[in-house]
Amino acid sequence: MLKKIYLGFGFLVVLLYSVSAFQGWEFGTSRREVLPADVRNSPGGYRSFHFWHSGFHGGK
Amino acid sequence: MTTFQANCPACGAPVSFKAGGSIVVVCDFCHSVVARTDRALEDLGKVAELMDTGSPLAVGLKGTHHNVRFELTGRAQLGHEAGGVWDEWYAAFSDGRWGWLAEAQGRFYLTFELSLSDVNAMPSFEALRLGHSVAAIPLSVPLVVAEKGIARTISAQGEIPWRLVPNETYAYADLSGPGASFATIDYSQTPPLVFVGQEVTLAEIGLAEARPPEREAKQTKAAQLSCPNCGGPLELHAPDKAERVTCPNCSSLLDLERGLLKFLKALKPGMFQPSIPLGSVGELKEGKFTVIGFVARSVTFDRTYFWFEYLLYNPQIGFRWLVQSDDHWSFVKSVPPGEVSEGFKVATFQGREFKLFQDATATVEYVSGEFYWKVSVGEKARAIDYISPPEMISIELSTIVSRTTYEASGTNAINWGYQEKAQPASGEINCSLGSYLAREEVEKAFGVSGLARPSLVAPNQPNPFIGLEKYWVAFLGLTLILGIFFMVTGSGRQVFSQSFHFDALPNADGTQTVFSDPFTLAGRKNIRVSAISDVDNSWVYFEGDLINQDTGLVQPFDLPVEYYHGVEDGEAWSEGGATTTTYLSSLPAGTYTLRLEGQWEKWQEPSPNLSVQIVQGVPRFTHLMIALLVVSLIPAYSRVRRFIFEGSRWKDSMYTSAASYSSEDSDETGLDDDKPITLGLT
Repeated sequence: MLKKIYLGFGFLVVLLYSVSAFQGWEFGTSRREVLPADVRNSPGGYRSFHFWHSGFHGGK
Repeated sequence: MTTFQANCPACGAPVSFKAGGSIVVVCDFCHSVVARTDRALEDLGKVAELMDTGSPLAVGLKGTHHNVRFELTGRAQLGHEAGGVWDEWYAAFSDGRWGWLAEAQGRFYLTFELSLSDVNAMPSFEALRLGHSVAAIPLSVPLVVAEKGIARTISAQGEIPWRLVPNETYAYADLSGPGASFATIDYSQTPPLVFVGQEVTLAEIGLAEARPPEREAKQTKAAQLSCPNCGGPLELHAPDKAERVTCPNCSSLLDLERGLLKFLKALKPGMFQPSIPLGSVGELKEGKFTVIGFVARSVTFDRTYFWFEYLLYNPQIGFRWLVQSDDHWSFVKSVPPGEVSEGFKVATFQGREFKLFQDATATVEYVSGEFYWKVSVGEKARAIDYISPPEMISIELSTIVSRTTYEASGTNAINWGYQEKAQPASGEINCSLGSYLAREEVEKAFGVSGLARPSLVAPNQPNPFIGLEKYWVAFLGLTLILGIFFMVTGSGRQVFSQSFHFDALPNADGTQTVFSDPFTLAGRKNIRVSAISDVDNSWVYFEGDLINQDTGLVQPFDLPVEYYHGVEDGEAWSEGGATTTTYLSSLPAGTYTLRLEGQWEKWQEPSPNLSVQIVQGVPRFTHLMIALLVVSLIPAYSRVRRFIFEGSRWKDSMYTSAASYSSEDSDETGLDDDKPITLGLT
């Protein structure tokens, strides 16, 4: 029984390692956000100082 | 071949000596043994009626051995001093040789007389030691003495190539060796005769057509079919092999001799109850077996420990055992003693090494059912166990003192080192191989339920925490290979590099922000962001964002850089560094802009220089190490549990594991640790 469990676990670890290396995954990467479309489309867009200091934290 | 016809000197009936080398013939009418001498025929006395041993052989059967034809011309039934009989058949070969075909317990041993160059080198019967080889017998394979005893000629039939005297006793020794080798030393003459050969099957000697040793359970042909003590009925599963039986009605121990039941002693009923009832039929790997006997045995160390043995019988296969000890089960079968060789605290069987586990005197405490030897309550045997889980080799050494009931008759009974009135100790070695059986397998085989669950570790119980090593090595190897592959193929391509310098901040809480020129990021490649700043005993902190210009995806990160150094008590110190690195998971391919918002300690001054580099597809040694560590977790746990399991196994042994045994422990065991254990009779 332990052998079967280990075989499954081992394959999973190797698979996870391979996928993470192939996909370029990293630990501890901060959560991503998406700028709302109106911000992206507005003139100056996200470059506006006023915009970043208006409390933007990734939209609604 | 010329047939010599004559008349029996006892009854006058015609007797024939058909085989050229036959010495005696048994008269079919009066059972007198008629010997032919140079001058006349001699009447050596009458033999008893042949016992029905269920043998598939018969006088007159023809077979072949190594392409040489033979005919069975005669048969003798010999009595064992411990009870029971065996058949010896005499084969006249077409090339003039005589073969001795011994039959016992369904096994056949074909031997031929061996001429010794130095007969005086043969040891005396008393000098033979059980378990020791006989150097005077020059063979390529070593044979060890498996049994020594006194035989008595009881009955005979046909033509026999030696001077068989009815009721004569003689000393003999059986030897056993690897590869089914077998030998017998016959001390009926001076010097003793040596016969060498091997165990054979009927098919190997061209007697496959002989009636197979298959019989239905039947009542013994003996005159008494009921218990001589209480009159209750008895059923024997192996009536031609049974020597002792207990009455199921009054629990008397009965002796079975030539079909007659004789009361021996009353046993205390119900002392021990078998977990598998007598008469149960079970389907095991080898075949279907009936439980015909039950024995309770014990050894005493600090206290008395009991275990139970169930005698199993199958007419085609023979006898096997189920052993129940501490609620663990083993399936046990006999193996030739010559196949087992002993060293210092190890035994070897068929190339496998077994470690010494226990060596004690076992006592029979209780019996129930039928048995093929003269079992008795209180009989003792030295029992030595060697283990190689899931198997166990058990060696039992029993000593038999020849009985005064067997008396030599006639002259010249025994000449070689055996005095008629002396009673040398005889004995035999029985070796058996036990294979661990799970409790569930026994329940399923015999259709029983509720067998007690074991709580301790059995000596031969398989360790459930082994067997991962090869998989662990395979996973380590696979991970390493993959890691090397990813490291070699990792591009490590720099996609961005730029230096920044900021003006002084308006206040301590102020920040400055800059956006880089757009650059391209590839998909499915990790991102390493490195920042180098010339801070000196100060810090600089930047919040970074990678912003996808098309989708608005934002990946934030931090870039703190701090470096401090100095000299204290004449010793230089430093803390931090001028470089900081952070790794980000891959982002969707596209065009990105880097946003940096910075603060620094000396905000009144322009910022320290900051150089930012972004590299993609960086090989990660840390991830490889983590994968190797994670894949090793279960094997490491298993390793710990394995040692704990083995510790529990050896806790009950009078020896530690052979690898760790030290002479400092000899006082605890009371054994000499510098002497190998031998099986010689003392």
